[in-house]
Amino acid sequence: MFNNKRSDNTGLNIIIVGCGKVGTTLVERLIKEGHDITVIDKDFEDVQTISSTYDVMGITGNGASYSVQMEAGIDNADLIIAVTDSDELNLLCCTVARRVGNCAAIARVRTPDYSKEVAYLREKLGLALIINPDLEAARETAHILFLPTALEVNTFAHGLAEIIKIRIPEGNVLDGKTIAHLGRHIHNNVLVCGVERDGNVYIPSGDFILKNGDLVSFTASRSDARNFLDKIGFQTKQVKNTMIIGGGKTTYYLAKQLLEVGIEVKIIESDRKRCEELSILLPDAIVINGDGTNEDLLKEEGIEYTESFVPLTGIDEENIMLTLHAQRISNAKAITKINRIDFKDVINNLNLGSVIYPRYITSEAIIAYVRAKKASMNSNIETLYHMFDSKAEAIEFLIDSKSPVTDTPLMDLNLKDNLLIACINRNGKIIMPRGTSKIMVGDTVMIVTTHFGLKEIRDILK
Amino acid sequence: MNKSVIRYILGCVLKVEAAFLLLPSLVGFIYKEKQGIAFVIVAALCFILGTIMSFKKPENFLFYLKEGCVATALSWIFLSIFGALPFVINGDIPSFTNALFETISGFTTTGASILSDVEALSYSSLFWRSFTHWIGGMGVLVFLLAIIPLSGGSHINLMKAESPGPTVGKLVPKIRHTARILYIIYIVMTIIQIIFMLCGGESLFTSLTLSFGTAGTGGFSIKNDSIASYSAYTQWVITIFMILFGINFNAYYLLLFKKFKQIFRMDEVRWYLIIIAFSTIVIVLNLNAHHMASSDSIRHALFQVASIITTSGYATLDFDLWPSASKLILVGLIFIGACAGSTGGGIKVSRMLIAIKNAVREMYSYIHPRSIKQVKMDGKPLDNSVVRSVSVYLLTFFIIFSISLFAISFDNKDFTTNFTAVATTLNNVGPGLSMVGPTQNFGHFSVFAKYVFMFDMLAGRLELFPLLILFHPSLLKDWFTKRK
Repeated sequence: MFNNKRSDNTGLNIIIVGCGKVGTTLVERLIKEGHDITVIDKDFEDVQTISSTYDVMGITGNGASYSVQMEAGIDNADLIIAVTDSDELNLLCCTVARRVGNCAAIARVRTPDYSKEVAYLREKLGLALIINPDLEAARETAHILFLPTALEVNTFAHGLAEIIKIRIPEGNVLDGKTIAHLGRHIHNNVLVCGVERDGNVYIPSGDFILKNGDLVSFTASRSDARNFLDKIGFQTKQVKNTMIIGGGKTTYYLAKQLLEVGIEVKIIESDRKRCEELSILLPDAIVINGDGTNEDLLKEEGIEYTESFVPLTGIDEENIMLTLHAQRISNAKAITKINRIDFKDVINNLNLGSVIYPRYITSEAIIAYVRAKKASMNSNIETLYHMFDSKAEAIEFLIDSKSPVTDTPLMDLNLKDNLLIACINRNGKIIMPRGTSKIMVGDTVMIVTTHFGLKEIRDILK
Repeated sequence: MNKSVIRYILGCVLKVEAAFLLLPSLVGFIYKEKQGIAFVIVAALCFILGTIMSFKKPENFLFYLKEGCVATALSWIFLSIFGALPFVINGDIPSFTNALFETISGFTTTGASILSDVEALSYSSLFWRSFTHWIGGMGVLVFLLAIIPLSGGSHINLMKAESPGPTVGKLVPKIRHTARILYIIYIVMTIIQIIFMLCGGESLFTSLTLSFGTAGTGGFSIKNDSIASYSAYTQWVITIFMILFGINFNAYYLLLFKKFKQIFRMDEVRWYLIIIAFSTIVIVLNLNAHHMASSDSIRHALFQVASIITTSGYATLDFDLWPSASKLILVGLIFIGACAGSTGGGIKVSRMLIAIKNAVREMYSYIHPRSIKQVKMDGKPLDNSVVRSVSVYLLTFFIIFSISLFAISFDNKDFTTNFTAVATTLNNVGPGLSMVGPTQNFGHFSVFAKYVFMFDMLAGRLELFPLLILFHPSLLKDWFTKRK
């Protein structure tokens, strides 16, 4: 009677340790999905704030301690997510929880020292997931720098396919054309899966007419995507050089990835000691010791001529200022990292180029895991992205057993409105779905939709 | 301020009250009383008004502590006004002021009455009087939270405003489940008590009404001499259940999950039981010294102590005749009150504990001026903001107490009467001493004094601030001005 676990079959019992940026974002999202959440934090005020804003139970204490975890009901929990500031504490939390309760564990681990050993740690400590938001943010930034005309690039199907977001400029060939025209005459292997116009998100059908100013997301395999962009007159070459302000962990991960593919990297960092560290870690990068917010220094280091500009300081306001400055005096592709601040509407109205939100990246990965855990066994969520400021979702399902969706031509499926099957990955081959295509067991399928909370492939049907 | 959500909640509260009012109607039907019809009429009225008010759903359900407090305070005022109507309509209590006093006294689980002859009431009115205790004990908004799905997470603010105690914790992550668990414990315990009463040979009506009064720690009896004429067995049952309902309900939840360690760590419950035992022993010894003891003085002493500390207000004898040391103990118990998170009123044992610990800390800081010391409860350090709010609560409590005392002094009663009358209403106990003693009632006060008492009862039940902020200038301004 009092055991609420499974009682209404809607939510998992989740314990979140740490009420920081990511913790709060997670609470907000997971509450919406109907889970029972308990938060643990050392700071009384933080716990008070979060438990009076959201329908969660708050406990003050050290999340790694056995008695605190017991108080939070670890014996009844399905999942513990440790997202405190300290990697060690996160790992300890999960280790203790694994011993005490029978629950899955997710830890956030950011230090580069551990990041090389993630797979080992995960296996040995029995964790479900180890998340490195800095690495993920760096990866997302790098993807955009590889394709600077795009606003956002997300990869899926293990890097074989991409979701790319572009803005249709004035006078582009796509202006005034229908989606069907695009498919017939321009390129038949791309699929437009979402259009944002005046703040509304559309999952377009064939007769949808594109206009300039639209934000268009499309899926395609890597090569087709570049081919398509070339055809409609977008640059597809990766940037030659980049300037990064701030020398934090994200900078390290980003620079490393860029240097590997031969992009020239210049890092401006104010702390001398950190500069020295970076110069050892990244011998090929140009490391400048100086204040990145100094206009003269930026000019001296050639901000006007750089092809791309990535401010990655720890202060969001500084990042925004730097981007706005760069946009004014140069043609550089700018990517802004925003960690903490909200005010999404204001940010969207500023000309910030591409914007990266590490806390969303982290929470998306965790939510994908949580949904998959909740779903039944005949499909699995591989990845999940929020598109267009969380107005739509892209979800990648792994189909591992037969269901009403499989082996039926897509045109015979009674799909929900505002839902699109964007791409099918069959043994590494990317198939752009048509009416006659079928979903088979073993495929991974990308779904784009404005319906939230899809947990399994069956949910795409009406 | 989000007025539409407050309107919506008030509408829902009225609908709930309509449902509750059907029970006394049923009683009236069973006993074939014409007074029962009044309850049907008011139920219909509440239902229609409630439906109109909650017809249009508010655009957003977002509300903060401010809205939570206002919604709670207004709900209680609405509940009381509509709850008083049947008494006026069926003529059991013809004066509206008296009817309202009786109803507020019921909902706030005070148990102070203006009636000199309770037994003259109809069955349906008696039932409703006792049932208001039961509703008020756990709180109507907690009930609302348990049954209607309110989306959004800020509804803890409703519970914060209604549930007694310095801090309001959840039992489980979702507030809806928490509210549900609380009510299930409440209902199950009430049913157990009813069964015990029935086993003692009491009639179903007596068992129901007295159990409602005990569960809500209210104190309305259906006889003029309260519990005095019932059998020793019944008195024991009521004693034990009063003490049980005065314990923090979290303890029962922990008990169900066999987390005994955590129960033993609850300072409040431990001290609550210690205070009861200590007071009883002292009273028995005191009675002995004055040659007033008899074979059942332990039972009487324990009953009175339990009745006062849990703020029920039942009586098995006229304790106004006791020696003054015993009376003083009872007056002290009036202020201490029951545990936080129970159905009892008063200042609460936990607040007293925190205040005393804080005072000890203050003394310590005179000895070691640079010392840092945390006040601890249940083995865990308390945040300073909680300690501060307890101090402010006590201060505000005594300011309201003094003002009320001054306000009613114009009735020209003796000091003991005035002092205990205010204490007993502000702490939701019921009987006081002298002219408001257990065999007396509040009928002899002036209309003005009665309204002062009504305010005190509501303020006491809602723990002051939710009611007080209704009168804050900035909120009044907000309320009466239209925002574009």
